[in-house]
Amino acid sequence: MFHDGSVVLFPERKTAPGSPGRETQKDAPVPKRPETKKSGDRLMDRMKKVDPNQSERYRQRTGE
Amino acid sequence: MTDFPIVMGIETEYGIVRNDLQESDPVIESMELVRSYQSADLTGWLYQGEDPSLDARGFRVDNLAQDEEEKAFTRSDYKRFFSFHEMKSDRILSNGGRFYNDHTHPEFSTPESSSVMELLRYDRAGLEILLLAKKERERSLGKEGGLSLYRNNTDYHGHSYGCHENYLLPRAIPFDRIVTCCVPFLVARTVLLGAGKYGYESSEKRGYVRYQASQRADFIETLVSVDTMHCRPLVNSRDEPHADRNHFRRLHLILGDANMSEWQTAMKLGMTKLVLKGLLLEGWSPDIALEDPVESIRQVSKGLRDQPLLRLRDRQWTALDILEYYSDALEKRDLNLDPEERWILSGWREAIDQFRKEPSSLSDRIDWIAKAEMLSRFREEESLAPDDPWLQSLDLEYHNIDPDQGLFHALEESGEMLRLTGEESVREAITHPPGQGRPPVRHAIIRRFPDDVVEAGWEKIRFRSGEVVVLPLFQSCREEEIARLIERIGGLSTPHEIVEVIRPYTEGTNFQQER
Repeated sequence: MFHDGSVVLFPERKTAPGSPGRETQKDAPVPKRPETKKSGDRLMDRMKKVDPNQSERYRQRTGE
Repeated sequence: MTDFPIVMGIETEYGIVRNDLQESDPVIESMELVRSYQSADLTGWLYQGEDPSLDARGFRVDNLAQDEEEKAFTRSDYKRFFSFHEMKSDRILSNGGRFYNDHTHPEFSTPESSSVMELLRYDRAGLEILLLAKKERERSLGKEGGLSLYRNNTDYHGHSYGCHENYLLPRAIPFDRIVTCCVPFLVARTVLLGAGKYGYESSEKRGYVRYQASQRADFIETLVSVDTMHCRPLVNSRDEPHADRNHFRRLHLILGDANMSEWQTAMKLGMTKLVLKGLLLEGWSPDIALEDPVESIRQVSKGLRDQPLLRLRDRQWTALDILEYYSDALEKRDLNLDPEERWILSGWREAIDQFRKEPSSLSDRIDWIAKAEMLSRFREEESLAPDDPWLQSLDLEYHNIDPDQGLFHALEESGEMLRLTGEESVREAITHPPGQGRPPVRHAIIRRFPDDVVEAGWEKIRFRSGEVVVLPLFQSCREEEIARLIERIGGLSTPHEIVEVIRPYTEGTNFQQER
């Protein structure tokens, strides 16, 4: 996988571990698990709408 | 551990494109976008005293480097019918941040803070501010969807723009020691912090279309330099502390990617802060050094899940080994970590372990892994070749900040990417400054004397009378003390009284390093 940088299918994703649920400064982070519902078809539909030549046309000037 | 509070900030340049035009002028589009955002405290940035040509190694360069193409653009910019200040279109925001046109890119800079989670909230608020400006700009154009904004670092054609980190350190720490202490860590952190890119853009491999972990690694060409637009360094040596230069120096890092993942943004700031605070300021030095740090960051980026052995002076380690070495050094020291710092360190250790077991288990928090997984699904479904240009276009759209279009947003919305900030607190951060440090005081002064203030920067406020007030960092003040100070500022009659009110807070670093 990825020996030449090509993208191949990952195995099924595992359960997400904890994250800070509150971002209040210096508060003890509270573990929170995201409610995962696979984006599936909706993501695929959105991806199919992307113009295949979008990145070819995308030009910016050098920034910092 | 030293109680020196490291003040931090993060600046993000966004890509901008008009969808209804074949070609658009990025200078005009960035200016118009920034000007579309109406909720600013002030529109004049105080450039006086800023000097990006000063090098922390003790000299000043005559010119900052640009490539030939950008030199030509700059020459034509001089012929435009607007001034430098008009082009910059600076907006000093009520949340203590800055929104402006920086080198043809709209940029949001967070207010200063020593809390990682607070900065994360303001960074996310910055993204919302860009969306509000976009909406307003499209309304004035009469074209819904007329603009696209991207939080990434490349146009895939060799043009990069940055997401810079800032860490305020005691001046007493020699710059060379910062470089020695941090470089192996900065190279290695790429494996956990990359945003992912479909394409190679280093001069020797430009046009080769394969995936890599980092957007920015191709553009890092030297170890240390004051330059930011050409021949970019692993450690930028710009000596512009935006605070009392007798006491402070600012570490300005330009090598990082602009992450969509909040976890990565938090870890980027948090891990780096821990290395600086828990190791550098404690007098620790690594006993490892990379033979070729620039080549190494590219190897880490291209290594993806099969991380290569990097050549150190007397051994070979992967990026994960190096990250483990730094986290071990932190754990071995008797550091009095606060809850946020503990969360960072445990997340750091956990990520190393998970990556070693199965990198894809981090696809809910690491952009390059999430993106790779997403592209793989699509490639398989559409039976695309590995170099199909559609994959690069999908990579770009991962970074589209419009929640109705961006592919990252679809993943975040479905819970496949961790979100650490709360919507309500982000909403508040769009308009309100943090409760501590310099930003709330700066905001209070500008608000109290709106007709008298002409320009302001991070550190200074200039009044119509010509008087310039220099703000200390208020590093050691608690929130209640800042609230009382703000109340006093609200009761002042003239700007002349400000200096007396803030005088007691003028401070040094009180930093002494044990040897």
